[in-house]
Amino acid sequence: MKARDPGLVALMLLAAGMLLAGGSARAHTASNGFLTVHVDGAEIRGSVELAVRDVELAIGVDADGDGKVTWGELRAAQARLDRYVGDHLTLAARGRDCPLTLEPMRVNDRVDGSYAWLPFTARCAVEPAALTIRYGLMQGIDPSHRGLLALEAGGKTQTGVLAPDSSPLELSLTAPSAWRAATEYFRAGVWHIWSGIDHLLFLLSLLLPAVLIRRGGRWEPVPHARPALNNIVKVVTAFTVAHSITLTLAALDVVRLPTRLTESVIAASIIVAALNNIFPWVTESRARIAFAFGLLHGFGFASVLADMGLPRDARLVSLVSFNLGIEAGQLAVVMMVMPLVYGLRSAALYRRTLMPWGSAAIAALAFVWLVQRALLPVG
Amino acid sequence: MKTSLAALGMMMAGLAAASPRTPARDAEVLAELPQGLRHAEPSRALAADRIDVAVPLARAYVARARATGDLRFLGYAEAALEPWMRSSAPPPAVLVLHAGILQSRHAFEASLAELDRALAARPEDAQAWLTRATVLRVLGRYEAALASCRHLEGNAEPGVARLCEQGILGLTGHLREAYLAILQIPAEALGAEVAAWRCSELGEMAERLGDDTAAEGHFRSGLALAPRDFYTRLAYADLLLRHGRAAETLTLLEDYQTMEPMLLRIALAHRQLRDAAGGRAEALLAGAFEVEERRGDAVHRREEARFLLDVRNDSRGALQAAAANWQVQREPDDALILARAARAAGQPDAAKPMQDFLRMNGFQDARLPAPGDAS
Repeated sequence: MKARDPGLVALMLLAAGMLLAGGSARAHTASNGFLTVHVDGAEIRGSVELAVRDVELAIGVDADGDGKVTWGELRAAQARLDRYVGDHLTLAARGRDCPLTLEPMRVNDRVDGSYAWLPFTARCAVEPAALTIRYGLMQGIDPSHRGLLALEAGGKTQTGVLAPDSSPLELSLTAPSAWRAATEYFRAGVWHIWSGIDHLLFLLSLLLPAVLIRRGGRWEPVPHARPALNNIVKVVTAFTVAHSITLTLAALDVVRLPTRLTESVIAASIIVAALNNIFPWVTESRARIAFAFGLLHGFGFASVLADMGLPRDARLVSLVSFNLGIEAGQLAVVMMVMPLVYGLRSAALYRRTLMPWGSAAIAALAFVWLVQRALLPVG
Repeated sequence: MKTSLAALGMMMAGLAAASPRTPARDAEVLAELPQGLRHAEPSRALAADRIDVAVPLARAYVARARATGDLRFLGYAEAALEPWMRSSAPPPAVLVLHAGILQSRHAFEASLAELDRALAARPEDAQAWLTRATVLRVLGRYEAALASCRHLEGNAEPGVARLCEQGILGLTGHLREAYLAILQIPAEALGAEVAAWRCSELGEMAERLGDDTAAEGHFRSGLALAPRDFYTRLAYADLLLRHGRAAETLTLLEDYQTMEPMLLRIALAHRQLRDAAGGRAEALLAGAFEVEERRGDAVHRREEARFLLDVRNDSRGALQAAAANWQVQREPDDALILARAARAAGQPDAAKPMQDFLRMNGFQDARLPAPGDAS
């Protein structure tokens, strides 16, 4: 709006006589109508709102022509307004109109002025699976008018924008937005675990020795799959339970920790887990390490979720989906890597070289992260 | 994606605020209509039939939108032109006016396309060239903007072509020369509005040169010539705010509480004064931005970025808005808010494309923090 349009400078004089007319101190916004629709089976309840000023333009209600619209003048025009709304707003299901019954209007005060608020009911012949909304209010009068829709069905709220000249809007009621949110957050969870390699490195550091047993200060391969599987399940479960707890607490705003702290401790946790493979001091209950540090990793996941935000009407579904996505992503990696590690367990190369040196490399990398996260300025 | 989910939550919160009432008295006034605004049907019918009604009517509406900041008038103007725009070859005057409306909505590319159509039919249309130059300048396409300005020579009011050209040269490495050249344009020879434009251009150039005293003088003379000049008043308010002269800002904007950009400066002035009176302006702005977001409009994204940064202390949100705004418009103020937001958010890299663009063009602005400058 600030861009000067010199081409129109000269035209301002034309308007000089009209300046500062209607001196009410309201914020000027573009013209909006508000449509709320609540679908309950074949019954629909809702309301439609038009600015009083827009009602004047559409049907002319200022009976005494004094430039002011009173409640009495507006109320006297109810029948004409009903007809106007009836002609310009239709709800339909399966190609058949759901006839509107408008009820006595009221007034709603919004930031940009008073609105005529018309409650309505509508009845569809069948319970709609999808609702078609045709919105033509202010058509031909103000093409920049928009109808802002909030549609509630089956406990889910959808929103939409209706333009007077656009084609009808069709909203599906049976595939609620919660499903969309669920898939979206599930995908985000998977993506986060795969792209943020630090969580995986921590888990893998704990899993590398899962195919081995510590005996007499030396690593020996497990005789068969069962103990290895046992180890894996314990570590993965402990990690999952722990980070799910803190992820939930943080996402619901119950607990909050500074990002720098959690990110640094996550890096430190990788160092601890990796070094434990080279200088083992916890050999039997690595699940405890997984649990203890898993709590911190949960805060790390939560910061990603905080960036995305949780949709208000699908908080729980989104949170659970995100967490499931993380678990799925993590499980996929475990299932790819562990059979390979299991196959290698008897090779001296694995026990003497791959595991210790791989762990050392992981620890070194995590040390770099730790320095970056703890000491370097943010950004 | 991230923002849309967050925005959705905010919207829902805003929607819940409705609480309809039944007024107790019939005499209660619900709306004071802007002067001359009545049931639209009669004038609509006339404008659809007669172009000599449609064009002046639309022109008056556009002027009124500009003067009052009331965006609904742009819609009324569009409605008056609509029947004529539907023709396969709309009259050039209709196209030029419509392009101006699109420009106000920041639909810059669409605006340029309509101006080109108008100019194809009427190659000497000064208003079309001037609007075209303005749009291209906002987009940062300075070469093309200069070319449009040159078409004004001998075609428009004296001084307009030079003002147009020097304004662009001032953004592209010739700030001091352009400032001096505009000072040379004799103000007496100009109409009041062009003279006011000259003053605001000089004022902004002086600010970019770092001479705020001179800038203030230019803004004041501009407002003396054209007290209703929205643009100059905003620029002057920003200068006052930069110097912490909040009380003067409030006086300057006293009669302009209905426009979002003005409201923003009012809210900022109250912040500087640490008084609670800014709460109303802040609430109005928050509501207006929220509705714009729902509509999918982004006309006030620059203001929104500043609102988020300076009122809400949300540097990340501000950076997002400022970066999105920079994709649409590239005026000095757009660069300034992006630079400030990037610095506040601790993400100096986010301002780099902008800095590269400015460096490439030789842009100079004393108000801009030097790249890499710590806050």
